Amino acid sequence: MRHGFQEFREFCKKGCGFLRGAAPRQAAVVSAGVSLGVLLLAGALARSIEEPLWRELRARRPALELAGVKDALGQGVTAALLGGFSAVLADFTWLRANALWEDNNLPATQASIKLTTAIDPRPLYFWINGARMIAYDMPFWRIMEEGGHDKVPEARQRRIDEEQSAVALAYLKDGLRTHPGSPALLLEAGNIHLNRLKDTAAAADYYGRAAEQPGAPYYAARLHAVLLVRLGRVAEALESLKRVYPTLPKPGDKRATAFQVESAMAGTVLGRIRELEERLKVPEGERVGE
Amino acid sequence: MRLLAIARNTLTEALRQKLFALLLLLALALAASSQFFRDFNFGSSELKFIADFGFGAIVFFGSALTITATAQLFFSEIENRTALTLLSKPIRRTEFILGKFLGVAAITALFTALTTLLLAALLWHRENALMAAQPEAFAAGRLVSYGAVFAAGLLQWLKFTLLAALTLLIASYSNTNLYTVVVSFFVLLICHLQYLARDADAHIANPVARFLTRLLGHVFPNFQLYNITDQIARDTALPGGLVLTAALTALFYNAVILALAALAFRRREI
Repeated sequence: MRHGFQEFREFCKKGCGFLRGAAPRQAAVVSAGVSLGVLLLAGALARSIEEPLWRELRARRPALELAGVKDALGQGVTAALLGGFSAVLADFTWLRANALWEDNNLPATQASIKLTTAIDPRPLYFWINGARMIAYDMPFWRIMEEGGHDKVPEARQRRIDEEQSAVALAYLKDGLRTHPGSPALLLEAGNIHLNRLKDTAAAADYYGRAAEQPGAPYYAARLHAVLLVRLGRVAEALESLKRVYPTLPKPGDKRATAFQVESAMAGTVLGRIRELEERLKVPEGERVGE
Repeated sequence: MRLLAIARNTLTEALRQKLFALLLLLALALAASSQFFRDFNFGSSELKFIADFGFGAIVFFGSALTITATAQLFFSEIENRTALTLLSKPIRRTEFILGKFLGVAAITALFTALTTLLLAALLWHRENALMAAQPEAFAAGRLVSYGAVFAAGLLQWLKFTLLAALTLLIASYSNTNLYTVVVSFFVLLICHLQYLARDADAHIANPVARFLTRLLGHVFPNFQLYNITDQIARDTALPGGLVLTAALTALFYNAVILALAALAFRRREI
């Protein structure tokens, strides 16, 4: 052991001697190379210590995803990644998106919307309003650019709606990766399926998923049932409402606020249950009690 | 003892400089002004916005202070020839480097402590006002974890010490203050984006490019590890052992980088 240490010391001495004897420029290059090598080794060692922690931190910070930021580097994202100002920078890019939106500048607005959520993916506000701009406003701009609703054939208008809706839905899907199971984002996706794509089945599916999430607004379950009825899936609608009804706050419920009782609309839900029970001719004994 | 004397002298010199006072004032003013930008906030909650703005000021001005103060204090000794007088005494060059580092670490600690305290006070004041105005939103208690705010401040300081060590390493090779400052700012940027190289590593098919990316990912420390400014909400528990692991990594990196800086400085002609 002692012998090995002495050998190592000799080796170091020789190395230093070589550096001392070398021309200054050459020695500086060698010294820089040694520094790089040592930093490389230190980096490998440090990584083994920090890796588990880094993975955990990474999972909590969606803004750090390479896919989200690689196209936006140099546009402000870099500054946000330095560890602050991300909310401020996102607000700036959101303002820019709105200024571009006023000019009906589709590519730039779309890019700014995506940049905003790449910088700060935390606020749902950006995801929801960005998706609305893409799905509702942009098809209108494109149709107007092609001559207006009177001149553009119905099929073409439909195609534009589908294209923009696809972009908005993909955008919301990114949002759902950041906010898994967010009822607000699921509802927004449902709205696009219903209002833009006229796809009632997909919309019902999204509303149903939204209704199952904690903190979902009460109307999600009601909308889900309405769409199921519209699709002819009456029994499924009844089952869905029967599941929801017992969980709704009723008038006089001391644990609920007045607003919660009012927005839960338990009476309306019970009325709808009765209608469906009538329609399905559910025997009196099997009906939901008040 | 000699080490502490150099550190104390560095700290005194840094405090005398207008740069420290200016950057501290700017950071404090910017953090405090977050209150007035409340209407500008669209997406995040108000408290998150204030925290983000405050930490943004700490990171931005703290990094500027660390790099410029380290480079200036290092080169002023060489340009004023005081380094010659100092090193002709029984002071090792390693002690000179370590003393400078400790002095800069002390000045950045002062900066981070003052700005973090101000930010915590601002958050406390605003949270109290919001609690009085909207008690239902605070039914479960306070929203901000002040422990996490101070932990975030501590991690930022650890990052500044790493940055100071890296600046000293660059300064020990460089001949001018300006070159050191510019390269250090680039290094700061690379260290923050280092994780992108780690990510890209898995997706690069070309073996040479993959090797170079891997090299980049290993040579520079990961500064994102010290950034938890978006984790200060009370419902977001910090990962277990975060501060300890970050402190250990910073300590390890500082030891290695300072040893390299001392080695390079030993060969330097003054």
